[in-house]
Amino acid sequence: MRFRSFQTRIVVVFLGLLTAVQAAGFFAVSAAMTKNARARITDELAVGGNVFTRLIRARTEHLAQAARLLSGDFAFKAAASSDDRETVLSVLENHQARIGADVMMLASLNRTLMADTLRRGGPAAALFPFPDLVAHAEQAGEASAIATIDGHAYQIVAVPLLAPLPIAWICVGFVIDDRVARDLQSLTLLQVSFLRAGEGGWRSLASTLQGAMREALLRGLPAPTAATNTSRSVRIGAEEYMTLVTSLGDTSDGAIVAVLQRSLDAALEPARRLQVALLAISAGGLLVSVTGGVVIARRVTKPVRDLVESARRIERGDYEQSVRVTQQDEIGELAATFNHMAKGLAERDRVRAELERVGRLKRFFSPQLAELLVSAGDEAVLASHRREITVVFCDLRGFAAFAETAEPEEVMGVLREYHEAVGPEIFRFEGTLERFTGDGLMVFFNDPVPCADPAARAVRMADRMRHNVGELIETWQRRGHTLGFGVGIAMGYATLGRIGFEGRFDYAAIGTVTNLSARLCSEAQSGQILVSQRVYTDVQDLAEAEPAGSLTLKGFVKPVPAFNVLRVTERVTP
Amino acid sequence: MLESFAASRCRLCLVLVLSGCVLSAVAFASRAPAGTLDAVVKDAEGRPVPDAVVYATEASRTAATKPAGAVIDQQDKEFVPRVKPIQVGTDVLFPNKDNIRHHVYSFSPAKKFELPLYKGVPAAPVRFDRPGVVVLGCNIHDWMLGYVYVLETPYFATTGSDGNAELNDLPAGAYEVRVWQPRMRETGEPPSQRVTVTGSKAGRVEFLIALKPEFRLRRAPIGAGDRYR
Repeated sequence: MRFRSFQTRIVVVFLGLLTAVQAAGFFAVSAAMTKNARARITDELAVGGNVFTRLIRARTEHLAQAARLLSGDFAFKAAASSDDRETVLSVLENHQARIGADVMMLASLNRTLMADTLRRGGPAAALFPFPDLVAHAEQAGEASAIATIDGHAYQIVAVPLLAPLPIAWICVGFVIDDRVARDLQSLTLLQVSFLRAGEGGWRSLASTLQGAMREALLRGLPAPTAATNTSRSVRIGAEEYMTLVTSLGDTSDGAIVAVLQRSLDAALEPARRLQVALLAISAGGLLVSVTGGVVIARRVTKPVRDLVESARRIERGDYEQSVRVTQQDEIGELAATFNHMAKGLAERDRVRAELERVGRLKRFFSPQLAELLVSAGDEAVLASHRREITVVFCDLRGFAAFAETAEPEEVMGVLREYHEAVGPEIFRFEGTLERFTGDGLMVFFNDPVPCADPAARAVRMADRMRHNVGELIETWQRRGHTLGFGVGIAMGYATLGRIGFEGRFDYAAIGTVTNLSARLCSEAQSGQILVSQRVYTDVQDLAEAEPAGSLTLKGFVKPVPAFNVLRVTERVTP
Repeated sequence: MLESFAASRCRLCLVLVLSGCVLSAVAFASRAPAGTLDAVVKDAEGRPVPDAVVYATEASRTAATKPAGAVIDQQDKEFVPRVKPIQVGTDVLFPNKDNIRHHVYSFSPAKKFELPLYKGVPAAPVRFDRPGVVVLGCNIHDWMLGYVYVLETPYFATTGSDGNAELNDLPAGAYEVRVWQPRMRETGEPPSQRVTVTGSKAGRVEFLIALKPEFRLRRAPIGAGDRYR
């Protein structure tokens, strides 16, 4: 159906646009959020890296301070300078406990290991395991480094034992284990791992990562040599981490690095939630727009459908309906115009019908009468009825002889002139033209529209006709035709009504009065208007008439008195 | 800690003619002439070296005289003199000339002792009866540093800031002259030279020694940061 598809089209277009806009917005926002999150994490990682470096340095400094304080302890100096190895060891252990270190060693100026709290036994003249540290300390006064002992990483500091000149080197160390990593994590909010680059890849020293993630990190981290200061994304297990690798130092076992990480997935979590929310909103919006679209489409197409329906009815000829549309917009305007058009069509139809009727009536009646009849709107007036009417018959004297001898064109011309002369008078006096046959005319008054003075009208009309035709007679005479005009007027009851058959109806008067009028006309000489007694009685005041005797007329038993109207004295222009 | 006397051997050319008068200051010495020995100590760049102990050991015999007492002051929170050579068996007094107490100590193997916080003059002196270097410190003033060089021979002198030292009243004879300075690089034997002292002319020895960088703590009070050096 046309409308259904139009409706669907609206919905589809509407929806399509909305989907496109929402999808575009959704993807743009998603992409921006992800990019933003990554940038943010990279920054956080850089900051975290700085914090971490500072923390390591702070720890080293703290270690060094503790060691320095220790080295000033007089009793310690005294114990250390005694050659009693056991005493030295127990003093070391005591002081290690004081500062909470994990290892304390004493190295002689000859780089021999005098005491070691980790490995309490051992050969007497073993070499100090970190000669480079001591060498550096001799240069700079003290030194710190990261070193591995038994596979564990330690931050160690070497300070001189002064008595008052350096008599030995005190090395204090803190182990780097998971606790340290967790501590650093709590401050930097990053995953912290300490790794050693051994042959065959990374070894884990300490980490905040749990279980399988540790192993995954060892596998996932790129080669030990590529330790740069830029963060990059590393896949560990199923998660993605932004990773920063910081070098802490070289030991005999390999380089030691700190790996700082931030879970990209965790950091993108709020962004993901936002995405989901956006998706939900988009979906909701879409749903609302589907409903809205359908509703609007209906609202738009319904009036159109109504209009189409109306148009169809008008097509069929049913003008009497209107489209009920109450909108104030363009559609409403269209409907209003449509209604006007329908009304206009209906009006035109009605007028046409009326004109038809008028046209029909105008055949018999003067235009005024016809209008009157149509406006009265009652065609029952044409039904059979009885009324007293005044009938006027008139014709041309000598017409038959003329028609016989003259050319048809001449005859038609004469008739035309004759009709042009008498016709208007009929209308003027509002008579009803019953028929005209050639030169003969029958007009009656007081029907169908009653009038007050039918006789007077008839007589005045006849008089004028005589006058008009009289002028013509002279003309015709000059042309060589001898014609005269005679009128007969009678008054009486007749039966009037429509006669004929479907397709051709006529309005006729049947009665004695018509006969009388016709006979009087035939009796009239040229220029005579013969009226019946009755008529004469009615027009005595306005017409000058002479008696014309009692005439014996065919069809009448008794002779009929007639009068000839000479002139009409009172001329009233109706 | 024992300072080993390893020193690099350096050969010098002897340009001196010893002449001098022999001094008979020593009681046991029955020699009539007593000589003087002038010593000059310079470092590798030719600069004079102060606080260097030049000592002469008699080749033939060691003197057996009871040494007199020695004094090492504590003045203005420093040991005065900074380097004090003494003979084995000397009693050394450590008077405290400051108005604050000091706690003198040493952990050197040659003499381990301490004088806990005291003012004025301690009751008893400290006898140094073993040869060697004794490094003195003060427990409450980390920068206070002093050296006592315990020698077996009574013939020694310390160079001044000009790097010169004069050994007087040396009985004539042959001597091994050596030098020791706290900052001296010790590799092998300490440098020694043979000198014969006569009564007529003063002998002269010159030593060129290599020095280690000085290790001195900054005097307190100082700003923040307890840095050595």
